[in-house]
Amino acid sequence: MKILVMVKQVAFLDDEFEMRDNDRDVEEDFFEKDLNEFDHFSVEEALLIKEAAGDDAEVVAVTVGDDDADDVLRTALAKGADRGIRVWDDALEDADGISIAKVLAKVVEREQPDMVFTGAQSADFGSAVTGMALAGILGWPHAAVICHLEYGRGAKTATLRRELEGGLEEIMTIRCPAVLSIQLGINEPRYASLRGIKQAKQKHVDELSLDDLDLDAGAVAPASRVRRMYTPEKGQAELITGSPAEQAARLAEIIKELRG
Amino acid sequence: MNSADYTSQDVTRVLFQDFPTWMILSFYAVAITAIAIFLYGVWAQIRKYRRGVRSGAWAPFWPRFRDMVGTVLSHRTIRRRAPRAGRIHSWIFYGFLVLFIGTSLITLDYDILGPMGIRLWYGWYYLAFGFVMDIAGVALVAGLLYMMYRRKWLALPKLDYTRPDRNPGDPDYDRSDYRREDWAFLWLLIAIGITGFLLEAARVVWLQGQPAVWDFRWHAPVGTSVAYLMMGLGLGSEGAGSLRIGLWWFHGILALSFIALIPYTKVKHIFTAAGSLMARDPDGKRRMPAADVDAEKIGFANLTDFTDKYLLNADACTKCGRCHEACPANASGYPLSPRDLVLSLRELANDNLSRSAMPEGPIRVIGDGVNMIRPETLWSCRTCAACTEICPVGVEHLPMIVQMRRALVEEGNFDPMLQPTLKSLQKSGNSLGETKRKRPRWTRSLDFQIKDARKEPVDVLWYVGDYASFDPRSQKVTMTFARILHAAGINFGILYEDEQTAGNDVRRVGEEGLFQSLAEANIELLESCDFKTIVTTDPHTYNTIRNEYPEFGGKYVIEHASSMLERLIREGRVPTPVNLDYRVTYHDPCHLGRINKGSEPPRQVIDQLGLDLIELPRNRDNSFCCGAGGGRIWLADSPEMKKPAELRAAEAAGIAGLDVLIVNCPKCLNMLEDGVKGTGNEGSFRVMELTELVAEAMGLSADPASDREAEKEPA
Repeated sequence: MKILVMVKQVAFLDDEFEMRDNDRDVEEDFFEKDLNEFDHFSVEEALLIKEAAGDDAEVVAVTVGDDDADDVLRTALAKGADRGIRVWDDALEDADGISIAKVLAKVVEREQPDMVFTGAQSADFGSAVTGMALAGILGWPHAAVICHLEYGRGAKTATLRRELEGGLEEIMTIRCPAVLSIQLGINEPRYASLRGIKQAKQKHVDELSLDDLDLDAGAVAPASRVRRMYTPEKGQAELITGSPAEQAARLAEIIKELRG
Repeated sequence: MNSADYTSQDVTRVLFQDFPTWMILSFYAVAITAIAIFLYGVWAQIRKYRRGVRSGAWAPFWPRFRDMVGTVLSHRTIRRRAPRAGRIHSWIFYGFLVLFIGTSLITLDYDILGPMGIRLWYGWYYLAFGFVMDIAGVALVAGLLYMMYRRKWLALPKLDYTRPDRNPGDPDYDRSDYRREDWAFLWLLIAIGITGFLLEAARVVWLQGQPAVWDFRWHAPVGTSVAYLMMGLGLGSEGAGSLRIGLWWFHGILALSFIALIPYTKVKHIFTAAGSLMARDPDGKRRMPAADVDAEKIGFANLTDFTDKYLLNADACTKCGRCHEACPANASGYPLSPRDLVLSLRELANDNLSRSAMPEGPIRVIGDGVNMIRPETLWSCRTCAACTEICPVGVEHLPMIVQMRRALVEEGNFDPMLQPTLKSLQKSGNSLGETKRKRPRWTRSLDFQIKDARKEPVDVLWYVGDYASFDPRSQKVTMTFARILHAAGINFGILYEDEQTAGNDVRRVGEEGLFQSLAEANIELLESCDFKTIVTTDPHTYNTIRNEYPEFGGKYVIEHASSMLERLIREGRVPTPVNLDYRVTYHDPCHLGRINKGSEPPRQVIDQLGLDLIELPRNRDNSFCCGAGGGRIWLADSPEMKKPAELRAAEAAGIAGLDVLIVNCPKCLNMLEDGVKGTGNEGSFRVMELTELVAEAMGLSADPASDREAEKEPA
């Protein structure tokens, strides 16, 4: 049995930052990068299934990213994934979720897994599109925002529970293989010690180019692009304190100010 | 001594006097059997210890042996914080030692020198010998009587063996066997002592007709007094002769049983405590054990991962309860008693490593099974080293706990609350989930620029530390310290965004790989800077840079802020014109006071400022931890528990008219402010850092930002 877990290196923003000169992204110095929070849960879910299944189960962590993204693969490997795959090409620099899904679909075709997990969304851009787009490209069954999963080795179907709006949950049965996007809280992800992460360097990571996947820059050209990224101007708010008379006086002052 | 009837050769005790041969042979058979049982037991115990990993902790042998002998003879460690029990233990110790040496001398005279035709044990030597033995016997019996009184009537809680880490009804909760053993030990030894006197007395009564005995009867005043008592009760020479045979055997069997039992009972502490003291690591409380993070495994998960030294430690414990009493986790109701941890380990080793064959498979130490150590026990520890500090026999609980935590971290078996902290430390080198860029943000509120030690040479490199950099309350103190250094004209700088936590708590929480990676990165950074000394306000940082970085090639001169301030005030570089009229007390941070012997400089500063210092009941090396250490500041204390900081605040509240509880560590500040609020004392006294009082005495205003604002306003 083989489970592919798609993971992403996401950026965390400092509360003070500067934009790049082209105004389309934040200056890289203000990022700190780490494994997407959701992916901790999808990796854990795959590992739990693997541990229940026994030795012949394999968990493969897959990411699209430059060599910096090896760190997140190593985190997944340190937790217990068996090997990693990292796909990169400079043409992927501006890739959107659909482009990434196209790349991942090729990886799935290559690996022929029994199940594919993604995080419900990425913590930095939050489009929640990659997993579902991947399923669409593959023509596989899919389900999103899964908060409970029952799936055993070799099973033809999986039973899962999803969170819906308004506190509703639904229970579904899904044909396998399928693409499932995993919600936070489905399990308690294990900790990858730094020692484990370092030792995970010994595990195998395949580095693939677009060529290796029979893709070219045109095939992964993004269908959308960021035009501008900026901080919207903040509205004003003030908590007025003091005695009722003082509060009224301050309120009158503000009204006068605003009227000019 | 030369009477007509006898010569000095006759002034002696005839061994086996009037014994038939079969009786003498029986005695030797019993004695040899007892010694054989003793030797087998010693061998079996040594085999048990050697089933652990070899530590080499006894090398170099002779210097360690000398130190151990000094410690044992002086009873230095037993007297600490229990002077009376320590003194009286020394009566027992010396009484026993003298009696043992005396008995050995008789054996030497009779069984070794005798057959060679040499005899020494007569005349003056014999008389003096008898006198000394009598005194030793009195010391032994009196000491044992006191210990019985202490156990029975003083009813010290530390001796009642209540376990905080088990519930009544758990199969390993009951420690009544230990109590029975304690009493059996006391009774056996006192019976040996008392029958010795009775035997001595019976012999005097029996041989009252022999001038060589009777004329010198007062050389053994106690035995002879008892003899008079016996005669007064009507005992005659003949009756005494029969009594003497009975007593002789009784005393002999008791003494030989005692010898045979040594390796199997608490009596073995005679040897195990000595061995444990010899192996004691003087840096055990400051420097956690080295570990190869590239090895296949890390930490102590199985019993056979423990080193021989720790297995011996477990057998050295005499259950005196000093660690149990000193432990802040235990005092607050957490399921940890350092004593019970060590005793669990002892039981586990006895169950698994004492047989000729080892059990199959790994012997797990941590878990919920019988005699296993609970994970929550290990996570209760604050690594304050109070246990390791006070243990009279050199048990090192703290490194054992850290080693077991390493195994737990490796398995990911810890409080989920710890995970975000460790991830934050991995990602951005601080425990507060903040970005690296935010670290030096506190400097913005200063009205001067702190030098960037990464870019220009400085005299003093200030290693700020996590809490001092990020915690809002501590930031005020940090700014205050910056302003003091600035005012004193010190050429100092900080590492700005590139400083990461030094890693004291990371190491103590058991994330050794992360600690080593932080240490290496910090040392690399420090090596690239040009400075003479390091200063820090954080005792945790101080401890780790001072004691743990040398292992990774980082050798620096580091000073805690309080000793630097003491020097600056003494040299007149920090003038303190404002007279502070406060009644204060001082809370020693564990990592400064107990662990690094830095108790006096802060007190000197308090004295320099003219403050009225009233000591807390527990101070200096006996300071009571605020509860923050060992990563516990990252974990919530559950609401049903008392917090160590609240116990400490209550202790401070006991000082009448207290104005300020002085702390000297950012984590203590954080914890004790909470503790003071939690105990409803925030109206009665304030918690302040020593640095803040220095600034007040200098006339610097309390809030550095207000200076700047005030300057700006007119513009």
